[in-house]
Amino acid sequence: MFFLNHIWVIPLMPIASAAVMFFFGRRLSKQAVNAFCVGTIVLAFAWSCLAVYQYSSYAAAHDNAPFEKVLFTWAGSDGVMLPTHSGHPAPFKAEAGFLLDPLSAIWLLFVTGVGMLIHIYSTGYMAHEGGYYRFFGYLNLFMFSMLTLILGNNYAMLFVGWEGVGLCSYLLIGFYFQRHSASTAANKAFIVNRIGDASFLMGMFTIFWYFGTYRFTDITSVARSGQIAIGDPWMIAITLLLFGGACGKSAQLPLYVWLPDAMEGPTPVSALIHAATMVTAGVYMVARSNALFVLAPPSMKVVAIVGALTAIFAASIGLVQNDIKRVLAYSTVSQLGYMFLALGVGAFAAGVFHVFTHAFFKALLFLGAGSVIHAMGGEQDMRNMGALAKKIPTTFKTMFIATLAIAGIPGLAGFFSKDEILWQTWSRNDGAFRALWVIGFITAVMTSFYMFRLIYLTFFSQSRMSHEAEHHVHESPKSMTVPLMVLAFCSVFAGYLGLPPSLGGTNRFEKFLHPVFAAEAHQSAEAVPAKEEEHAPPIEYGLMLLSIGAGFGGWWLASRAYGKAGKGYVEPIDAAAQAVYTTLLNKYYVGEGYDYLFTGRKKLGPIRLGAIGLGEASWKFDANVIDGTVNGAGWITRLSAAFSNWWDKWVIDGVLVNGPAILAKMVSYPVRLFEWGLVQWYALVMVVGLVGFVWYAIR
Amino acid sequence: MLHLALFLIFGVIAVVGAINLIAQTHPINSALSLVVVMGSLAAEYLLLGAEFLGAIQVIVYAGAIMVLFVFTIMLLNAGAEEQTRGSKVAIIIGIPGMVIGSVAVAWALIRAHTGAEVPVGSLYGSAQGIGHLLFRDFLLPFEITSVLILIAIMGAVVLARRES
Amino acid sequence: MIPSTDYIRLLPELILIVFGLLVMLIEPLLGEHNNRKGLGAIALMGAVLSILASFYQTGYEGAAFFDMIHVDTFSIFFHVLIGLIAAVVILASFEYLNLQQIRYGEYYGLILLSSVGMMLMSSAVELVLIFIALEISSIGTYILAGFRRNAPISIESSMKYFLLGSFATAFFLYGVALMFGATGSTSVYTIATTLAQGATPLAYVGIALMFVGLGFKVASAPFHIWTPDVYEGAPAPVVAFMSTGPKAAAFAVLLRVLFATEAPGWFWLIWASAVLSMTLGNIGALVQNNVKRLLAYSSIAQAGYILVAFAAAKDIGISAVIFYAAAYAAMNVGAFAVASHLANVGEKYVTLDDYAGLGRRAPGLAAVLTIFMLSLIGIPVTGGFLAKFYVFQAAMQSHLTGLVIIGVINSAVAAYYYLRVIVYMYMREPQRDVPVLKMPFALGVSLAACLAATIYLGVLPGRILDYAMASARVLVR
Repeated sequence: MFFLNHIWVIPLMPIASAAVMFFFGRRLSKQAVNAFCVGTIVLAFAWSCLAVYQYSSYAAAHDNAPFEKVLFTWAGSDGVMLPTHSGHPAPFKAEAGFLLDPLSAIWLLFVTGVGMLIHIYSTGYMAHEGGYYRFFGYLNLFMFSMLTLILGNNYAMLFVGWEGVGLCSYLLIGFYFQRHSASTAANKAFIVNRIGDASFLMGMFTIFWYFGTYRFTDITSVARSGQIAIGDPWMIAITLLLFGGACGKSAQLPLYVWLPDAMEGPTPVSALIHAATMVTAGVYMVARSNALFVLAPPSMKVVAIVGALTAIFAASIGLVQNDIKRVLAYSTVSQLGYMFLALGVGAFAAGVFHVFTHAFFKALLFLGAGSVIHAMGGEQDMRNMGALAKKIPTTFKTMFIATLAIAGIPGLAGFFSKDEILWQTWSRNDGAFRALWVIGFITAVMTSFYMFRLIYLTFFSQSRMSHEAEHHVHESPKSMTVPLMVLAFCSVFAGYLGLPPSLGGTNRFEKFLHPVFAAEAHQSAEAVPAKEEEHAPPIEYGLMLLSIGAGFGGWWLASRAYGKAGKGYVEPIDAAAQAVYTTLLNKYYVGEGYDYLFTGRKKLGPIRLGAIGLGEASWKFDANVIDGTVNGAGWITRLSAAFSNWWDKWVIDGVLVNGPAILAKMVSYPVRLFEWGLVQWYALVMVVGLVGFVWYAIR
Repeated sequence: MLHLALFLIFGVIAVVGAINLIAQTHPINSALSLVVVMGSLAAEYLLLGAEFLGAIQVIVYAGAIMVLFVFTIMLLNAGAEEQTRGSKVAIIIGIPGMVIGSVAVAWALIRAHTGAEVPVGSLYGSAQGIGHLLFRDFLLPFEITSVLILIAIMGAVVLARRES
Repeated sequence: MIPSTDYIRLLPELILIVFGLLVMLIEPLLGEHNNRKGLGAIALMGAVLSILASFYQTGYEGAAFFDMIHVDTFSIFFHVLIGLIAAVVILASFEYLNLQQIRYGEYYGLILLSSVGMMLMSSAVELVLIFIALEISSIGTYILAGFRRNAPISIESSMKYFLLGSFATAFFLYGVALMFGATGSTSVYTIATTLAQGATPLAYVGIALMFVGLGFKVASAPFHIWTPDVYEGAPAPVVAFMSTGPKAAAFAVLLRVLFATEAPGWFWLIWASAVLSMTLGNIGALVQNNVKRLLAYSSIAQAGYILVAFAAAKDIGISAVIFYAAAYAAMNVGAFAVASHLANVGEKYVTLDDYAGLGRRAPGLAAVLTIFMLSLIGIPVTGGFLAKFYVFQAAMQSHLTGLVIIGVINSAVAAYYYLRVIVYMYMREPQRDVPVLKMPFALGVSLAACLAATIYLGVLPGRILDYAMASARVLVR
C-alpha cells in the first residue's frame, strides 16, 4: 500500500519540478529541462498506475470505500466553530487531504497519461521556441493544480486546484505575449472563469452552511442518508451555484466565450488544458457532487438543458470556422455540452465515460492540428491548406482515426460513449428528455460534418497553399508523432471498456464507477425507470442505427461539399443562406454583445456601459485635473473656477434650457462630481455621507 | 432664567463669531473673530459651573494662543487671501447638508433631554475635581498628550524647514 | 502608587517612545557628513523590541492606569501586528530615504511615535485615550505623507490628508461627546453597562458620528475619497505604513467600540458602508494607470471586505476581521514596498507602463509582486484567499447572503485590475527605458518577510485563526 498511502507525492512531483524551473530554469539546458519536467510526469503516471492498482485491492477489502489520506488541517482550525443550518456548530476547517475512489482514479489515470504524452509531444513542438523552461514550468504547475483538483478530499482543496488550473491556463494562453491577442485572450479566460468561480464559491459557502463540512465523503453520506427531501430548496440552490462554477470552467453557455479565444496559446496547451483535462474539471465537480444533484431534480434539468443547448450552439458555430484550432475549440465546447447532458439526465457514468474517451481523441486532434500547423510553418487557416495527406502521412492517419472516433463511426471510442449518452437521454426519466435527444442527434450530424470538413479541407481536396509553404511542408519529428500514435490507439480501443450489454459487453466502465454513483440509483428510484434489462429493447438498436447514420451522413455531406475544394471554394451554407452563414461565422455576435453590455470595451453610441464604463465614469478627470493640480500654484483658484463654470454652464443653465441634450453627457460623467481633486468636494461628500448616517441613527 | 438667557446669548455670539471667522478674508479679522469665539466659550463654561475650565480657556486660548496668532500674522504681514469665485454646488448641497446634519443632531439631543435638572457646580468643574481627574484617573491620557504635542512640533519643524 | 505591572502593560509603547526620541536625538549629533544609515538600525531595534515586549505581555494581561488600557489577547495581537508593520516599513525605507533625499531622523521618529498611537488605540478602553491615540497616529501620518518635500504632489497629499483628517476626527470627537452625554461615561465598559439598560437616540447618533471618524481612517465609503490622492502623493513606504497600520488600529477601535460596548444600531451603517466600499473601490480601480492609485482603490475595496466581517455574527466576525487585518497588512505592505523600489528617484516610475516588461528586467521582483497581487485577488494558498474565504463563510453563517453575493461578485470583478498589473509585467513590451535599481539587502529582507507572512497565512493559518478566535472571545465575553 506504499503508493496509495503516499498518494500526495503525485501532485508534489510536478510542483517540485516547476519550482526548479522557476529558480534555476534559466540556466538549465533543454535536455535538463526535459529530464526534470517530462521525467516527473512520467513518474507521476507510474505512481498513479500503481496507486490505482493498490486501490483496487484496497477497495475489495473495504467494501468499495474510497481511500482517504489526510495530511494536516490547512484552512481553518478545530477551535473556530461556526453555526450551521442544523443548529450544531461545526469547526471551520478544510484539510490538505487526498481522496482516491473510482471517479478520481479515472481522472488521475487519463490526466497523468495524456499529460505525459503531451509533455513528450511538447519537447518536439516547442523545440525552437523561446522560453522553453518557462513553458514547461507552467505546464508542470498546471499538472500540480489539476492533480490537486482531482485528488482533493474536500471542496476547499478542489477549489485550490480549480483556481490553480485557471491561473496556469491564464499564464499559458498568454505564453506568446508578444501577440496582443494572446494577452487579451488570457485575460478574458481568467475573468470569465472568475465569474464562474464566484458562483462556485457561493455554492461552497452554502454547502458549509448546510452540512458544516467541506469533505466529500461526509457530505455524500449525509446526502444519501435520506434525511434530505428530494427537491429541498437548499439543495437546488447549492447545485445551481456549483453548476454555475462548472459553466465557467467547462465553457458552457453563457460563459463559454473564453475557450475559443484560449486557442491563442501554444497548441500542446490547447490539447492538454483546453481539450482533455482542465475543461473537464466542471464535469468532475458535478459528478463528484452527484449525491447533491440527485436531490435537486430542477437543477438536473437545468444541467441537461444547458448541456444540450451548448452542444448544438457550439457545433453550429463550428460548422463554418476557418481556423483549424477554432473548429476544434468549438467542438470541445460542444462535446462538453454532451457530457453535461449526460450528467443532467442522471447518467453520470455515461458522462464520465465520454470525458474519458474524449480526452484521447480530442487531445489527438489538437496535437494533430499542432503537427499540421508545425508543418505549415504556423499557418492555421484551413483555406490555405489542402492535400496534405500524402505529405504528412502519420499526422493524417492519426487525425483521421480521431475524426472517425469523434464523429461516432462504429467501432471507435467516441461511438460507444456518445451513443451511450444519447440512449440514456432517450430512455431515462420516462423519456422526459426526448426533446434533448433530438438536439443531441442533430448535434451528432453537425459534429460529423464539421470534423470531416476539417479533414477534407486540410488533407484532401486541392492544395491551396502558396508555393513557399508547399516546399516547407514536412512531417513532424518522432517526439511528436509517437504520442499521436499512442493516442490514436487509445481513441480506437478505449471505448471497449464501456461496451454496453446490448453489444455483448458488460459495461465494465460503469461497473467500476458504480460505488461512486451507486446510492443515486436508490434515491431517485421513482424518477428513473427500471435499470437496463438483461436484453436490450429493440428501440436501443434502432437509435444506435440512427446515430450511426448521423455519423456517416455528416461524412457524406462534407465529402460532397469539400471533397474537391480548390482555391476560392464556396461554403455550402453561405450559398444556401447567407444570413445564417454570417451569423455563424460571427459566432452569433455573442462576443460583441458582451463587450457592449458587460465589459464596456465597446461603446453603445456615445455611452460606454459595463464595468469599464462605470470605472471611467468614476474617474475620467485624471489627465485634466490631477496633472493640473501638480503643475504649480493657484490650482485651487483655477480649478474651482473651471469647475464652477462647467457646473454653471452645464447644470444650472443647461438643465433649465436644454436638459435632455446634456443628459447623455451627465450619464458618462456622474461621479466626476465626486472626485476632482478639491478638498472642499471631498469634505462635501463626507458631509453627505454623515447626514445619511445621522439620519439613519435618529430615525 | 437668567442663566438660560446668558447661555443662549453667548452661544449665539460663539456661532456668529465662528461663521465670521470663515467669512472674513483678512487673516487678522479671522483671528479676532476667533478670540470672540474663545471668549464666549469661556463664558459658557463658567455658566455651566466649570470655573477652572473657563479660566484656563481665557488664559490659554483667548490669551496666549491668540496673541501668538496675531503676532505671527502681523510678522508675516499676511494680506487678504485670494477669494475664489466659489461654486454654487457648495451652496446648493454643502450648506443645506451641514444644516440638515446639525438639525438632526440637535433634534437627537432634544429628544434625549430627560427633563432632569443638573444643579450648577455639580460637575467636575472645580480645580480640585480637575486635578483629581487629570493626575489620577486620566493620568495616562494626560501624559500621552505629551507625545501628541511632540509629534505636532516635529511636524511643524519638518514642514517649515527649508530644504537645502 | 501605580503598580509596576502597569508599566509592563505599557511597555511596548514606552519602548517605542524611547527609541523615537533616541533616533531624533542622535541625528544632530552625527554631523553633516557621517553615514546616517545606522539610525534606521536603531529604529528597527526599537520596533523589534516593542514586538518582543508585546509577546512578554502575555503573562501580564489585565487593566492598567485606572482602567485606561486593557492588555488582553486582542490588544497583544494588534500590538504585534503594528510592531511588525513598523519594522518592515522601516526596513523597506533604508534605501528609499537615501534615494529620495529624505531626512532620516524625523522620518523614523515619526514612524515610531505614530506607532505608539496605533498601539494605544488597540489597547485603550477609554474613549478619551482612544481619541488622543488616534490623533497621535493621524498627525504622524499627515506629516509622513508630505515627506517628499521637493514634490508638490506630496505636499498636496499631506495637506489634503490633514484637512480632511481633522474634519473626520472632529466628528469622532463629537461622537465621543454625545456618547458621554448619553451614558455619562467615556469608559467602554461603563458605556456597555449603561447601554444594556436601553439606548437613547443620542447613543445612536454618537455611534454614527464615531463611525464617520473611524470610517475615514480605514478608508471605507463614503468617507474614502481622499485615499487615491493621498496615496498617490505620499512616499511609497509611508503609504505601505499608513494603508495598513492606522487601518488595523482603527479597525481595532471599531471592534472595541461596536462590540465591547454592545452599541446598538450600527448594523445597517456597516452594511451600507461595506457594500459601497467594495463596489466603489473596485470600480474605481478598473481604469487606473497609476499603480499607487490602483492600490489605493484596492485598499478601499479591501476595507469593504473587512466590514463584511463586522456585519457577521459576533465572535466569528471579529476573528475574521482580525485575521483579515493581518493578511491584508502582509500583502499590502509587500505590494507597496515593491512599488517604492521601482519608483526610483523622485518616484518617477509609478504608472503601469513603467511596469511593462518587468518580468524580464527584474524577474524576482516581478514574481514577488505577482504573488502579492494574487493574494489581493484571493487565489488559494495565499493569505488573501483564506482571509476572504473566512470572511465570506462567516458572513454566510450569519445569514448575510446578500452581502456575500455582492462581495463575491466584487472579488470576481477585482481580479481584472490586479491582473492588469501582472499582464503589464509579463505580457507587454516596455514603452520607455525604465531603470531598475539593484535590490538593497534591507528591502529584500522586508519583502521576504511579507512574502513569508502571506504564504504562511495561506497555508498554515490554524494558529493565527485560533488566536484571532481567542481575541474575539475577549471582546464579546
